[in-house]
Amino acid sequence: MLYPSSFLAPAFAVLAVFFFLPTVFNFVYAFTDWSAFHDDIRPVGLANVKAVLSNGALLSSLRITIVYAVLVAIMQTGFGLGLALLLERDTRINRFARVVFFVPVLMSALAVGYTFQALLKPDGPLNGLIGALTGQHVTIPWLGSTTWTVVTVAFVNSWKWMGLAMVIFLAGLKTIPADVLEAARIDGAGRWRTFLSIRFPLIAPAVTFNVATALLGSFNGFDTILATTGGGPAQQTEVLDIYIFRVYGNGLFAQATTMSLALLLLVALLAFPVIGYLRKRERVL
Amino acid sequence: MKTRRLFRAAAAATCGALLLAGCSAGNPGTSSATAGPVTTTWPDPGAGLQGVTLTLWMSTQTAAMADNVIKAFEAKTGAKINKVVIPDVYETNAPTKLATGAKPDLATWQPTGSMLSLLKPATDLQSLDGAPWLAKQTPAIQKLGLVNGHHYAAFVNVPSVLGVFYNKSVFQKAGITSTPKNFNELLSDAQKIKAKGVAPFFGAAGDQWPTQWWPQVLLAEASKKGLWERVSQNKEKFTDPEILGAVRQFQDMVKQGLFNKDDKTSKYTESGPALLKGEAAMVLQLTSFASLMQSTADTATIDREIGWFPISKDGNIATSVPGGDNALVAFKTGDPKRESGARQFLRFWLETYYPDYVKSAGTVSIEPTVPAPAGVPEVVKQASAALDDAAGSMQQNAAVNPDFYVNLANMVNGTMTPEQVTSTTQSQFAQLAQALGIQGF
Repeated sequence: MLYPSSFLAPAFAVLAVFFFLPTVFNFVYAFTDWSAFHDDIRPVGLANVKAVLSNGALLSSLRITIVYAVLVAIMQTGFGLGLALLLERDTRINRFARVVFFVPVLMSALAVGYTFQALLKPDGPLNGLIGALTGQHVTIPWLGSTTWTVVTVAFVNSWKWMGLAMVIFLAGLKTIPADVLEAARIDGAGRWRTFLSIRFPLIAPAVTFNVATALLGSFNGFDTILATTGGGPAQQTEVLDIYIFRVYGNGLFAQATTMSLALLLLVALLAFPVIGYLRKRERVL
Repeated sequence: MKTRRLFRAAAAATCGALLLAGCSAGNPGTSSATAGPVTTTWPDPGAGLQGVTLTLWMSTQTAAMADNVIKAFEAKTGAKINKVVIPDVYETNAPTKLATGAKPDLATWQPTGSMLSLLKPATDLQSLDGAPWLAKQTPAIQKLGLVNGHHYAAFVNVPSVLGVFYNKSVFQKAGITSTPKNFNELLSDAQKIKAKGVAPFFGAAGDQWPTQWWPQVLLAEASKKGLWERVSQNKEKFTDPEILGAVRQFQDMVKQGLFNKDDKTSKYTESGPALLKGEAAMVLQLTSFASLMQSTADTATIDREIGWFPISKDGNIATSVPGGDNALVAFKTGDPKRESGARQFLRFWLETYYPDYVKSAGTVSIEPTVPAPAGVPEVVKQASAALDDAAGSMQQNAAVNPDFYVNLANMVNGTMTPEQVTSTTQSQFAQLAQALGIQGF
C-alpha cells in the first residue's frame, strides 16, 4: 500500500458534510414541525406524511412528474439518436451542426424557458410563422392547454438536452467495429436492416445512459418548467419540484421536506428496475 | 486495521454529534439572544455612521426605488448601504434565504399581517412602535403594518387598493354615462360593452395571482364586518356561503364570457396596453397598475383615457392590499450599531428625505405636510383617497395567506369547481394556521 487509508479522511469528511448529512436531515426534518413561523423545531411523528397525503395535490404532482419524465425520456433519446445518425459522418458541415445542436446544452435552462415562453405565445413568432405559411390568423395557445402543455414543456426540455444525448449516441456509434458493419454489408443488409440488427443493439450502453439520465433527471425537472409555464395552466405542469418550491415558499418547510422524501423514494423505486432492465439489454454485447 | 476502526468510530461520532446538534437547534439564523425589549432610541437622521454597513434586501420590482435615498443617506452619514436584489419570486426566495441563516438589516416587504408573520416579527423584526415618523403619516397608514398591535413595517408610499381602471372611450361608445354604483350595475355595464364586441374585463389568469381580486372585492362589505378575522379564528370557512358565493359569482362571470378570450394565458403586463388600446374596457387591479400604464403612456394620456372607481358587492368600497413596494422592515441582527443604523435610515427616508423621495418617485405622499408632486395620474390620487374607507383584503386581515389565487386560476381553466376551490383553500389555510400555532386549528 502506497498511502495510509487515513489520507481518505478529508474526502470522507467532505462527503459526510455535503452529501451524507443533508440526506440524513432530509429524513429528520420530514418528521418535525419546522416552519417559517416559529423558532423551535419539534418532532411531530407522521403528521407531515398524513398532511401531504390528505392533500390530492401531492398525488397529482407525482402523476404529472411521471408523465413529464417519461415524455422527456422518449423525446430526448429519440431526438438525440436521430441527430447522431444524421450527423454521424465526419464532414465539416456535420461537425459544425453538432456544435450548433450542442449549444442549447450549455445555455441556462431559465433562458431557454423564457425564450420558448415568448416564442409560444398566442401572438408569438411561432403562430406568426404558421400563419404566414397557411395564410390564416393563427392564435394557438401552446402553453394554455390543460392537456397538451405538459407535452410542450417536455419538448422544450428535450430540445435543450438533445445535444448531450446526440454526443453520447455518437460516441456509441463510433465504437462499432468497421468490420462488423462491412460483414453486414457483404451479407446484403441494407441501411435499415444494419441499423435495426447491428447498430442499435451495439449502442445499448448509450441507450441505457441516455434513457436513465433523461428519465431520472427529469424527476427533478424545475427550471425550464418554471420559466416556461410556472406550473400552469391550472397546475397541469406543476411537477413535484415546483409544488415543493411553492409549499416551501409558504413557510411550510417540514412539509416540503416530506415531499422531497416522497420524490427520493419514487426515484429510487423506479431507478432500480429501469436501469436493471436496460442493463439486461446490454448482455447481448 | 486499527486506523480504519478509529476512523470509522470518529466518522460515526462526528455524524452523530452533528445530527444531534441539528435536532436540538432552532431555525438557522435565529437566536434567543436577539429577542429583547422594544427599542426606544431613535437616532438623529443625519448623525455620522462612518464604518457602518447596512444590508438592504429588495425585490426586482423595487430594485431602483431606494437608489436616490441610499445615495443621499450615504453622503450625509458616511454609512454604506449594501443593496442586494433577491430574484423573483421575492416573497418565496427571501424567506428561503432567511431560513438558511442569512439576515439583512433592512428589506422591502409586503406589510400585511399574513406576510409579516413569515418573518417571525416578534423575535426577528425590530418593533417600530413610537417611531417619530408615524405621527406625521395619515391616520389610515398608522393603522397598517401591525402584528399583535405592534408596528413592524415602515410605510414609504401609499398602499395599493383594489379598484376598476376603465377606458373612458369604450364606456362612452357603449352608452355608459356614469360609473356603476354596485356589482350588479357593473355586470349590466359589462353586458352592454360585450354587446359592442369588446371584452368587458381583462383577466390575466396566465399569471394566476390577478384572479384573486374578484372574490375579494365581492367580499369587501363582509370584510368590514370581520369576515377575515372570523376565518382566522376558524369560526368561518372558505367553504361557507359567504366566500363560496363570491367564488361562484366570479365563475359565472368567466362562464358568461366577460373576460378577454386569451384570459387563460394572458399576463399582468399585457393588461395595461390592452386597456389603453381599448381592447378591454376594464381591469380590476391594484393602484400600482398605474405604474404599468405609465411605462407605456404619459400622465396626460392616462388622465384623458383612463378612469377609476372602486367596486364592492353592494357599493363602492375599495379593498386595501398593501404591497411589497409600499414598506420596509428592519431586522434584529444582534448588532446594536447596525440595528440603530437601520432605524436611522428609516428616519432619514421618512423625515429628512421624504419630500425629495415623493418628488423623484412621482408618488402620492402619505404625509399630509408633504404635498404630492405634479405628474401623478388622477387615477392614483382617486385610489389613494379611497384608502380611508377601504375594507381589508385577505392578505391584510387574515392570519395567513393561502394559495387562493392558484385554485381560482384552476377554476378559470375549468379544472376546479368553486366547491373544490374553497375546500382546497380552506385546507391550505388550516395547514398554515396550524404551523403558526393559531388556536382553533
